[in-house]
Amino acid sequence: MQVIRVEDLSKTFRVKKKEKGMTGSIKAILHPQTEKIQAVNGVSFTVEEGEMLAFIGPNGAGKSTTIKMLTGILYPDGGRVEVLGVDPTKKRKQLAYQIGTVFGQKEQLWTHLTPYDNFRFFGAIYDLSERETEARIEELSERFALGSFIDTPVRNLSLGQRIRCEIVASLIHKPKVLFLDEPTIGLDPVVKENIRSLIMQMNQEEHTTIFLTSHDVGDIEKLCRRIIIVNAGRIVLDDSVEHLKHHYPDKRAADTQAHEKAAENGDSLSISLEEIITEIYKSEERIAEK
Amino acid sequence: MRKYAVIYQSVLLENLQYAANVAIGFFTYFVFIFIFIKLWGYMYRTPEELIAGYTKEQMIWYVMMTEMLYFGSNANVVAGEVAGDIRGGNIAYRINRPYHYTLYILTKYTGEWSVRLPMYAAVAAVIGAVMVGPLPRFRLITLPVMALCVILGITINAVFKLCISLFSFWIEDTAPFQWLYNKLILVVGIMFPVEIFPKALQPLLKLTPIYTVCYGPAKLIVDFSPAKCLEIVAAQVVYLAVGCGLMVLIYRKGVRKLYVNGG
Repeated sequence: MQVIRVEDLSKTFRVKKKEKGMTGSIKAILHPQTEKIQAVNGVSFTVEEGEMLAFIGPNGAGKSTTIKMLTGILYPDGGRVEVLGVDPTKKRKQLAYQIGTVFGQKEQLWTHLTPYDNFRFFGAIYDLSERETEARIEELSERFALGSFIDTPVRNLSLGQRIRCEIVASLIHKPKVLFLDEPTIGLDPVVKENIRSLIMQMNQEEHTTIFLTSHDVGDIEKLCRRIIIVNAGRIVLDDSVEHLKHHYPDKRAADTQAHEKAAENGDSLSISLEEIITEIYKSEERIAEK
Repeated sequence: MRKYAVIYQSVLLENLQYAANVAIGFFTYFVFIFIFIKLWGYMYRTPEELIAGYTKEQMIWYVMMTEMLYFGSNANVVAGEVAGDIRGGNIAYRINRPYHYTLYILTKYTGEWSVRLPMYAAVAAVIGAVMVGPLPRFRLITLPVMALCVILGITINAVFKLCISLFSFWIEDTAPFQWLYNKLILVVGIMFPVEIFPKALQPLLKLTPIYTVCYGPAKLIVDFSPAKCLEIVAAQVVYLAVGCGLMVLIYRKGVRKLYVNGG
């Protein structure tokens, strides 16, 4: 069953332009000028229930804008979006009950309250009964090992502990789709690994669909079977991680120049997923420059 | 409604931890009131004299009550925080929840003033009793309706300030408009009652939010009458309905224009 359906999605922003210095500032007041930025340009894809998808791309590629349109925060200029059969722009509130979001660079928890009070707060926001909330807190607290700090104010938690609590807060209402926007940013390798295992476990046990954006290839390798790469608002690759890892080196070998260069340097042609992604980004950059 | 009760409770819990910080503002409040006590002391030549229909005690109590409302209901959440959320993009992380953003903000604000205002009310009562004397026509039985009037006044003020903040969806900075609104309320409604101003101006002033936000509640406290109470509460209900309608309209139009920095 398809839980996300996106057809020809596009979004344009108007950004103010200003010339340098004081003269530029005065000109900008008298004759304000704006520039059109095509953040998302004709993107189409579908996501199956229970799938773990990596939606990646260089900075400014349109990843976050797409997530914000999928969650009903931004209104698209064109195209169609359907998440769990709901149009996010028309029924944002209805959709909010069925999805969860974690933005690694933003806090959703109330920092002066304890995680426990926060979870109770989110339970009430999502219309769970007291009993349901308590049961869910107990279940998630055990799974995410929050016991030792569940009664400590959030402001006193380490980043790793806080992110675990952020994820629990977004899972309190058992969402069917979880949007993770750079959930492991700034975490040390051990905590990252721990968070990835917990997300994996949750996907297997609750069959939650995961829509992940991350610059950390470790997140993608560990969690996702499918990868979509976007650049300049367009999809440049939609493939399975396994297929990409095994066939991109073959494609690269077919490139005589790369083959010769590798042979000259005595390098192996097998490359890591990180290198594959970097090469795709660079080749996209070259195409854009031309 | 349970979710808004929980938002209120969470803000209350959060603010109670910092109740001691509120006490720092008492000094400024005391200085303001002290200046007004001296000022009106010079203006009234005899204790029986009336200025614009107010005795000296009523006039000072009027200023004490309006200043109490001003200090006790600091509206930073509905002004600076909302405008900052829209400009900085943080609003994106607040609007994808199953509640209405504007009601979330108003509930949060109510949780804040619920801690501050009673503290300022207690300080005002002590300063008034010690430095001015009891309110001449005050009756305890009228307290619930006065409280209702005060709550309506604060909420109307918050709704109008929120409307101004929501213009951040279109313009870069709403601070100058907030400043103008604040000064209008401060000069015309807080420092002096409407009756001080020229007779020709008074009907016009009664059409502005000043009448329902600060003049009305303070007037009822210092000079209660059932007819006046009915008139003020009726005006407040109309103002609240119009303000809420405007707020929802601006929000609905504005949220479609949302541009979030960094995608």
